[in-house]
Amino acid sequence: MAETKTKKTPRPAPAPQTQRAEVWRVVVLNDPVNRMSYVVMVLRRVFGFAEERARKHMLAIHETGRSVLWSGTREQAEAYVFALQQWHLTAVVQPEHAA
Amino acid sequence: MKRVEIKLNISAVAPLLDVIKQAADDLRGSLAIRATFPENDEEFNETWTSELLAGQNSDVRELLGLFGSEFFAEGSIAIDSPNSDSLLRGCSALRIQILTHWLQGIPADLLEDEDVPPEAIADELRVPFAAYTFLDQVQKIILEHLDPTAAEA
Repeated sequence: MAETKTKKTPRPAPAPQTQRAEVWRVVVLNDPVNRMSYVVMVLRRVFGFAEERARKHMLAIHETGRSVLWSGTREQAEAYVFALQQWHLTAVVQPEHAA
Repeated sequence: MKRVEIKLNISAVAPLLDVIKQAADDLRGSLAIRATFPENDEEFNETWTSELLAGQNSDVRELLGLFGSEFFAEGSIAIDSPNSDSLLRGCSALRIQILTHWLQGIPADLLEDEDVPPEAIADELRVPFAAYTFLDQVQKIILEHLDPTAAEA
């Protein structure tokens, strides 16, 4: 009887996994100058937030020193940070894993 | 188009303008708040800074433009919807610069108090402090009367 050898079929090498796009955060830091109503207005203008949501972020910034305003693609995060800096808010872009 | 006209006391505001103009001069070549850059790329960062600086200078010019010969003749400044964004940003930049240059030693609670008695502030800081609060009041009037959020998408 002919011996049947089971040939091991080489397993296809795993396809390189699509690297998950990194998520970036827009963080606004507290500053001692800008009045609260100004910060709320800027957050509404830049992110299109409703008054209540903008106010919550403003209070978080005021009370804890920072708030994460948005997360997503790096390009969009950079655009938001630039817009916030135009209004003289202290804003930074951070990779989500660094937070 | 909404428009707000603010009547001011020329003799009270004129000394504040010296401080405001000095702060504006200081800001001509530097940002009120140090930019933080998302990229570690010198060319990118230079472009980022120069665009912010161009915007800041334009906003400050717009604000200083309120206090030209018409102000000294009429004693009033006019703010309308199209210039309100620039004026809000200009006030912010100048207040930051006034704080950085003159008012670092003043406690935060005094800086945030709208009714600080003059004697709470050292003599030599009263004019910069008055300029700081004056610009705050201009911002407050714009925010209350011109509804800048109406322009949001």
